[in-house]
Amino acid sequence: MNNQPEQINPDFEDIMDQAYSLPNGRAKIALLEEAIRIADSLGDVEQGYSAREELVETCTFSGHPMKALVAFSWLLGQFDQQPEEYDDFTLLWSYKWILDSIASFPEVSRAQIDELLVDMRKRYEQFGYSERSYYYYRFSLLKDYGEVEEAQQFLNKTKAMDRDEMSDCEACEQHQFVEFEVMKGNDEQIIRTARPILKGRMTCGEVPHLTLSKVLMPLYRQGKLEEAEKYQKQGYRLIKGNRDFVLHSGEHMYYLLNIDLLQALEVFEQWVGLSLDHENPRDKMMFNAYAAVLFKRLVADGNVTSVKLPAGYPYPEEANDLPAIASRLEQMALETAGRLDQRNGNSYYTTLIQQL
Amino acid sequence: MSESDTYRFQVNLSGMINILSNHLYSNPKVFLREVLQNAVDAVTARSQQDATYQGSIHLELTGSGAGSTLMIEDDGIGLTREDVHEFLAMIGQSSKRSGADAFTQETSFIGRFGIGLLSCFMVSDEIVMVTQSAKGGKALEWRGNPDGTYHIRELETELSPGTKVYLRCKPDCEMYYESELLQQWIYDYGALLPYPITFRDEQTQRIINDQRPVWLDDPERARGHRDEVLQLGQRLLGEKFQDYIPLRTASGRTGGIAYILPHSVNLNVKKSNRVYLKYMLVSEKAENILPDWAFFVKSIIWTDELQPTASREHFYENEKLEEVRQELGNSIRAELLRMAEYEPDRLQRIIQLHALSMKALAVEDTSFFQIIYRWLPFETTYGRRKVHELLADNQKMYYTTSLDEYRQITHVASAQSLLVVNGGYVYDAELIALLPEVCAEANTERLIPEDVSLAFTDITTEERKQYYEAVRYADVALQRFRCQIQLKRFKPEDLPALFTLSQEASDLRSIETSKSVSPLALTSVLQSLSSSLQQSAYSTLYLNINNSVVERIFQAKNESMIVVAIEMLYVNALMMGHYPMNRQEMQVLNQGIVRFLDWGLSANTDQGGHTE
Repeated sequence: MNNQPEQINPDFEDIMDQAYSLPNGRAKIALLEEAIRIADSLGDVEQGYSAREELVETCTFSGHPMKALVAFSWLLGQFDQQPEEYDDFTLLWSYKWILDSIASFPEVSRAQIDELLVDMRKRYEQFGYSERSYYYYRFSLLKDYGEVEEAQQFLNKTKAMDRDEMSDCEACEQHQFVEFEVMKGNDEQIIRTARPILKGRMTCGEVPHLTLSKVLMPLYRQGKLEEAEKYQKQGYRLIKGNRDFVLHSGEHMYYLLNIDLLQALEVFEQWVGLSLDHENPRDKMMFNAYAAVLFKRLVADGNVTSVKLPAGYPYPEEANDLPAIASRLEQMALETAGRLDQRNGNSYYTTLIQQL
Repeated sequence: MSESDTYRFQVNLSGMINILSNHLYSNPKVFLREVLQNAVDAVTARSQQDATYQGSIHLELTGSGAGSTLMIEDDGIGLTREDVHEFLAMIGQSSKRSGADAFTQETSFIGRFGIGLLSCFMVSDEIVMVTQSAKGGKALEWRGNPDGTYHIRELETELSPGTKVYLRCKPDCEMYYESELLQQWIYDYGALLPYPITFRDEQTQRIINDQRPVWLDDPERARGHRDEVLQLGQRLLGEKFQDYIPLRTASGRTGGIAYILPHSVNLNVKKSNRVYLKYMLVSEKAENILPDWAFFVKSIIWTDELQPTASREHFYENEKLEEVRQELGNSIRAELLRMAEYEPDRLQRIIQLHALSMKALAVEDTSFFQIIYRWLPFETTYGRRKVHELLADNQKMYYTTSLDEYRQITHVASAQSLLVVNGGYVYDAELIALLPEVCAEANTERLIPEDVSLAFTDITTEERKQYYEAVRYADVALQRFRCQIQLKRFKPEDLPALFTLSQEASDLRSIETSKSVSPLALTSVLQSLSSSLQQSAYSTLYLNINNSVVERIFQAKNESMIVVAIEMLYVNALMMGHYPMNRQEMQVLNQGIVRFLDWGLSANTDQGGHTE
C-alpha cells in the first residue's frame, strides 16, 4: 500500500497551504479541486467558497476557463444566498474573467451571453460601479464575435466614460485596443496602438505578454525585422510554459515560420502537448490553424519529414506523416471555426483561418 | 576671501528632491551609495591619468543626533570651476531630455556627479563641497541649499587634489547619521570596492572593506577559499551556507558566487540576488539576473556590462541581460553536471533539498535531465522512490497526470503490484513522460483511471449468463447517475467496488454540483456546456465478484434488494474516493440505510422490506 497516509486523508487547510505555495498551473488546480471536494463532502460552504475563489483566479490565469466558469457559477449562487458573508469586490471582479472567455465556447449562445452581460450590469449597478464595464464588455464580446463596426460603437462609448474601480487596468485595456486594431488590419495603426506597451510604459501581470505576439506580423510586413525579432524573443520568454498563452504561442509560431521553419517547429513541439486538452476551444482552434500553416510549409519545403509528438498524442503514427498532420490540424480548426461562426451568425473565423 | 557669486538652478530643486526621495530611490540611505560612487568615480578618473597613484576614500562622522555632520572625502581627480558649473547645467538639461535617460545613460563622470550629490538633499539641508582639481588652480568651496541657490567661493590656497563633501543632519534624518548603521551601509554598498574605504567617528577608526576577496577577478579561484567564501556569503546575504557554485560569463565581465540555499524554498518566493555594478552594490533584490529555475541559490553577482534602471536599483530587461542570465545559468548547470560525475553525494544532497527546482530545470533541458534523473524522487505506489530505485525492478512505470487520477487508482494499483507514479505534482508527469528519452531502459506509460481495469480479469461466459439479469437491474439503477456497471474479478478482494471517472465525467460532476446552486443566467450556460460532455461522460463502477458481499448480492434473486445494494455500493465507492455527493446521491444513501434497517428488523418475514 501507499506509505503516504497524508496523501490519502489530507486535511483542508494543509491542502490549501500546499496550493498557495505553488505557481499557477495544473498541480495547483488539482490541489484546489481536492480541497473543494473535501469541503463539499463535509458540507463546509465557507471553505468551499474560499477554495473556489482561489480556483477561479488560478484557472483564469493558467488556461482553464471552463473550470473557472464552473467554480464561478457556484460562487455566485452561494453569494446570492448569503451576500453578507462574502467579499463582493472579489466576486464582481472575477465576473469579468468569465466574460473574457465565455464567447470562446461555441455551445454558449449569444442570447445566453447577453443574459450574463445583463446580469453583470445589474450587479455592478447594485454595488455602485459605473456602467463603463458593461459597455467595455459589450465592445469586447462584439469583438469576439467578429463584428467590427458594432464593437467600434461600444468602444467609443467606453472611451467617453471615466474609469472606475472595476475597470481593467490601463495596460489590459490598451491591449484590448491593440487586439481590436489587429482585427481591423492596419499594420501601422496596430503598432502605434501597441507603442505604449512596447515601450514598457504600460505593464501588468499579463501585459506585455499578450501584446508582443500581436505586433510580430505587422512589424514583419513592414520590414522591421530587427524589432520583430526583439519582441519575439522577449514575448516568448514571458509566455513560455503557461497554457493560458497557447493562442499566443501560435502567433509566435506563425511569425517564426517566415523566419526559420525549424524554430517554428520547435515552438509547435513545445506547445502541442498543452494544446491537446486545452479548455478554450477558440484558443486551441487558432493554435491548430497556425500549426496547419506551419505543416503545409514544412511539406512544401521538404527538408523535415518527422515531428516529435508528445506522449498521449492521439495519432502517434502521424509523427512521420506531415501532410496528414497538416490536414488534421486544419480540419480541427475549421470545425471549431464553423461552430463559432454558426453561433455568431457570420463567417468571421472561417474566413480568418482560410486566409492565413 | 575672494569673489562669491550667486547662481540659480534651472529646475525646481525641491520638486526634484521630492522626486528623488519619494519616487525614484526606494530608501533615502542610497545617498550614501551616491556619494561613494562619486568618490569612486573621482578616484578612477585620477588613476587613469596617473598610473602610480593609489586612491582611497574616507568617511568621518562628528557630533551626534541632530547635530551630526558626515564628511566624505576622496583624493581623486577633483573639480574645476567649469566642472562645477557643468554638473549643475547637466541637471538643468535632464528636463529637456526624454525622462529617465539622463539618469541611466553612460553619462560623463561630471553628469553623474551632480545627480549623485543632489540625492544628499534627502538627508541634509545644506551640502558643502570643497574640491581641488588635480589640474591645479585654487581650491573651490561650493555650498548648495534646497531652496535652489548655490554659491561658489574660491579658497585662498591650493590643496592636495580631491573632494570633501560635508552633510549636516536634516531634522528627522538622525538615523542616517548613526554610526553603526552607517558602517553597515557603507559595508553593504562598498564591500567589494577596489579602493580602501576608511571610517572614523569619535570612538572608532577602521577600514570598512579590508577583507575584499582576492578571487573577484576570477571566481573559479573561489573554490580554493571555501571558508572565506562562505563567510562573505553570511555577511552579505545574512544566511549560513554550506555549499556554493562560482559563476562567470565567457567575457569575464560578470562573475559571482551562487550560494546553495540550505533549506528548500517556495516556488513563488521572490528570487533575490545581490548585484554589484562596477563593484558598487546596485540591488539587493535583483530578480531577473538568474534564470527562473535557479531558485535554489542566492547569489552575489558583480558585473560591469549591465545597464541599471533610473533608480540604479535594478537592471533593464534587454538582450544583454538575457545573455548574461543564460551564461550564469550555464555556470550553474555545468557545475551540477560536474557533480553528477565526480561528487554524486553532493549532488544528491542538493537534489533532496531542492527537488522541485531540479525538476523545473530538467523539464527545460533534456541533457540536464539525462545527468540527474537517477536521483530525482517521485511519489509512487511503492512509496517515495528515486528513479534509479524504480528502474532496478525492471517494471513498467505507469504514471497519472493528476493527483485525482492517482488517488482513484492507488489502492487497486497497489494491490495488483502495479508501479504507478503520482504525476499530480508540478513537473512530475512531464518528467516521467520524458524519461524514456533520456534512459532507454525506462518503460513508461500514461495510466488513466479507466485503464486500471486492464489488469482486471473478465468474468467467464458462464458467469456472464448467470449474472445477466442482475447486471441489467444494476445498470438500470445507476443510469440516472450516468454510471455504468462492469462486473470483474480483481485484487484486493476486500474491495467490493471501484468507481472511476473519465476527465469528461469528472468535469460533468462538478458542473452538476455548480448548476444546482447557481443563478439562472449561469445555469443555462452550464447546461449548454454540459450537453457537449454528456455523450462521453459516463463513469464506471467496477464491481468485484471476488468480493464475497458482491458475490452474494448477485446471487440474490430479489430485484429490489439488488437495486438498493448496488446503489449503496455506488455511494460507498463515492465516499471511498472522496467524491462529494449531490442531493440525489445523498437521498439514495439515506433511503438505503432506512431500507436496510427495515430489512434487518424484518429478517424473519419473507416479504422483503417496506420503507413507508
